[in-house]
Amino acid sequence: MIQNLPWLFLLLPLLAAVIDWVVFRKCSKCAAALSILSVAATFALCVAYLCGLQTGTPGIYTWMPVAAAQLSLHMGLVLDPLAMRMMLVVTGIGLLVHIFSIGYMKGDPSNLSRYFAGLSIFMFSMTCIVLADNLAMTFIGWEMVGFSSYLLIGHWFDKASAADAAKKAFITNRVGDFGFLIGILLTLGVFGSLNFADMGAKAAGIAPAILTATVLFLFCGAVGKSAQFPLHVWLPDAMEGPTPVSALIHAATMVAAGVYMLVRLQVAMGEAAFTGTACNVIATVGAITAVLAALMAVQQDDIKRVLAYSTLSQLGYMVMAVGLLAGEAAMFHLYTHAWFKALLFLGAGAIIICCHHEQDIWKMGGLAKRMPLTVLCFLMGTCALIAVPGFSGFFSKEAILDAALEQNPVFFWVGAGVAALTTFYMARLCLVAFCGSARAHGAEHAKEACPTMLLPLLVLAVMAIISGYGFAADSLVPFEGFHAHGFALGLPFYAGMGALALGLLLAFALYGCGKRSKDPLSGNAVSDALRNRFYIDALYDKVIIGGLQEIVAHIIEFIDAAVIRGLLMQGSAWLTARIGLLLSYIQGGSLRAYAFVCGFGLLILIFLLAFNL
Amino acid sequence: MIPLAHYLIFSGLLFSIGLAGVLVRKNIIVVFMCLEMMLTAANVSLVAFSRAQGTAGIPVYDAQVLSLFVSGIAAAEVAIGLALIVAMFRSRKSVESTELTSLKD
Amino acid sequence: MFESALCQIIFYVFAALALLCAVGVVAFRNPVTSAMNMALCFGLVSAILFGLGAQFLGIIQIIIYAGAILVLFVFVIMMLDIKAEEHSPASWLPAVGGTVVAAVFAGMVMSVSMNLPGAKDGSCPAKTLWDNIGELSLAPQPQQAEAPAKVTRFGGALPALSPAAAAKALNPDIAPEQAANATTYPDVKLVGHTLFTQYNIPFVILGFALLSGSVGAMALARKYRKD
Repeated sequence: MIQNLPWLFLLLPLLAAVIDWVVFRKCSKCAAALSILSVAATFALCVAYLCGLQTGTPGIYTWMPVAAAQLSLHMGLVLDPLAMRMMLVVTGIGLLVHIFSIGYMKGDPSNLSRYFAGLSIFMFSMTCIVLADNLAMTFIGWEMVGFSSYLLIGHWFDKASAADAAKKAFITNRVGDFGFLIGILLTLGVFGSLNFADMGAKAAGIAPAILTATVLFLFCGAVGKSAQFPLHVWLPDAMEGPTPVSALIHAATMVAAGVYMLVRLQVAMGEAAFTGTACNVIATVGAITAVLAALMAVQQDDIKRVLAYSTLSQLGYMVMAVGLLAGEAAMFHLYTHAWFKALLFLGAGAIIICCHHEQDIWKMGGLAKRMPLTVLCFLMGTCALIAVPGFSGFFSKEAILDAALEQNPVFFWVGAGVAALTTFYMARLCLVAFCGSARAHGAEHAKEACPTMLLPLLVLAVMAIISGYGFAADSLVPFEGFHAHGFALGLPFYAGMGALALGLLLAFALYGCGKRSKDPLSGNAVSDALRNRFYIDALYDKVIIGGLQEIVAHIIEFIDAAVIRGLLMQGSAWLTARIGLLLSYIQGGSLRAYAFVCGFGLLILIFLLAFNL
Repeated sequence: MIPLAHYLIFSGLLFSIGLAGVLVRKNIIVVFMCLEMMLTAANVSLVAFSRAQGTAGIPVYDAQVLSLFVSGIAAAEVAIGLALIVAMFRSRKSVESTELTSLKD
Repeated sequence: MFESALCQIIFYVFAALALLCAVGVVAFRNPVTSAMNMALCFGLVSAILFGLGAQFLGIIQIIIYAGAILVLFVFVIMMLDIKAEEHSPASWLPAVGGTVVAAVFAGMVMSVSMNLPGAKDGSCPAKTLWDNIGELSLAPQPQQAEAPAKVTRFGGALPALSPAAAAKALNPDIAPEQAANATTYPDVKLVGHTLFTQYNIPFVILGFALLSGSVGAMALARKYRKD
């Protein structure tokens, strides 16, 4: 009995979601309370496990038994440090985001029960990914997070842009998931099992080409979910959802699921399974994403979009680290990034709310004076993100740069460049939004955020500072046997410091102390390209939607018109109508005709019976 | 000395006149009367057979009881049928069978 | 013999008149005239039933058909104020068609009746009706092993009614000499006896049928208010 306790991780949020949706439809307060309670309970359970609670191996539930046993789908939980510490990040940030949501969504006219039910179902799905002991279960959670992300991005579905963004996120993820599914089936065929535990032993005997294909197909899933180039287009649009959702799903946890899954596979299959080609592809994709996203972030005006591109860029970092076979560094960065990016998003949310739903940084300004605590927390997050020594991001970024230098110097320099860009755009954001004087009505009347919002910010700010230090990281980073190295004065450190200094210098030079009311970089071709995301979205619109989809639509239209409508519908209708017309002469509606026919039949009957012909 | 065959012929003729009425007339009430006539014709042959089939000077009373039942059911049928005709007249202001074409239209 | 001859004359005269009245029902255009013809026809039929010795059914014929049903018909005709059927030029087709069908039917019935075994010469065939029908029908019936007990005479006189046998049937304990003394034939008693012993439950069910019929008639003929 007790060994099945971990199933509560899945059960509690699911129950909360169902009850929120079915019972507490009208009572948003009850729904919020229940959701928070379920997250708090899972968080407490998680802490208990990390503090050494032992309940034995949880039972495995055979979901779909198949005669060939290895094809049966099982539901099992894996409780190793990788999973449990990841759970801590997920439930911890989840709890804070839930609390923050109360303040953020106060007075929102939409149905908050639906919102909290969505959050709970997200917690359930994310738990499903994190604790899955096989790829099939991962895939189920994978699709479920996609679904809950769709629900939450489209929470304000009466806003056309939110509905479109939800659809875009869902469909773009489908593309990646298709590859992921192929990868899972390949895994089943190659390894003979979907269980992570069985993979390591079999990886050695498999041809490298097949392994490469398998890993790359599985990587497709991560490309979609972690928004890597070329499927990165959905993440910036996903910012149409409520800001706490962006913090939880599109910054800290769900988008990190791709990285988590890759690291999980790397651990399960062994690093040898990640062949050179596969690693190069993964690292290159990560690096491209990191660079492109950082460049795009430089010219964004929407505070949430800046953070979204920064998330993309950091995810690129992590994926690059995975590709460099530095799963440890990837998870370390995932873990610190989760805390400080959640902090940044929640801080942005608080700022947006306090500026009366203003998201354009050029319409803010001077916020440091009006809401000092919030801004301070935001600055903590910024420091962590731009890797100021002493903050958590510094340690994890150093770890990645270390690994890159060790494996491939090209990636190291890419990383350092991205770090400079990161510093530049974050400094730009802070200078424009917080310094100088207010440039719009909303910012003039901004006040300090309410306690339910401030509390999570403070907690996250503390985590953003301390989570990188050895005492916290050693026991919390989701990686088996993780050990913080501390930093050494070497090339990575100097490169990082150089990037930091360069970025800050450029930002101060260009934006001063928030005196400008217009971006001095805007108005040229490069800036336009950056603002328009290198026209990648437009290209997709033209080629995929305008070209490919049109061709397919024409084919389908032809089938629809000729075969289905012409032959099946109209043809059958025509045939039926003709037959009906013929038969309608029988059904003339005249009583006497019926009686006549009846009498005639009687005659025939008697004739046959009595005259024995 | 009237043989059974003559009763049967009479009954058959009465029945066919009723049949002709059902087929020829438009007025539903008259059609209905002709139906009653056909039932009566059947009753006549039933009673005739009852007499002819009798043994030891007693007719077969089963047949007579059957014809009694026919009369009883006919009475119920007439009640329902006439009520239907009244209802039909209310809705269509006519008792012509040629008017009953709403299934066709 | 005289009685028998009278009976014959009465039968043929009444049968002819009944058929005439039946034709009148079909032929007259005014429904009231049709109804009156039908009343007459039913009276004549009941006379024929009397001639067959079925006094009870004859009376019932008058009471139910001529009395109740006809009155209902006339009542409805009056209530709905139905006029005589208008002659329409297009109605010759159904008229001719219906007459032809009925005529063919009549011809068939007559030819069957006339050609029944013994119907012409008055001899007595040693076969039951069912055997005859079996012989006539399409499918050959299996031959019955036992000789049939009842004999149907399609020709020849109908068997005479025996008051003595009837008295014996009504009261099995009656002394034979007392039964022989019986002069009248108790038809009503015998019908009642059969009805209330052998056919008691069907009779009750018939009562229910009549009840539901009258309730249904009321429900159907009710005038629904617009609201």
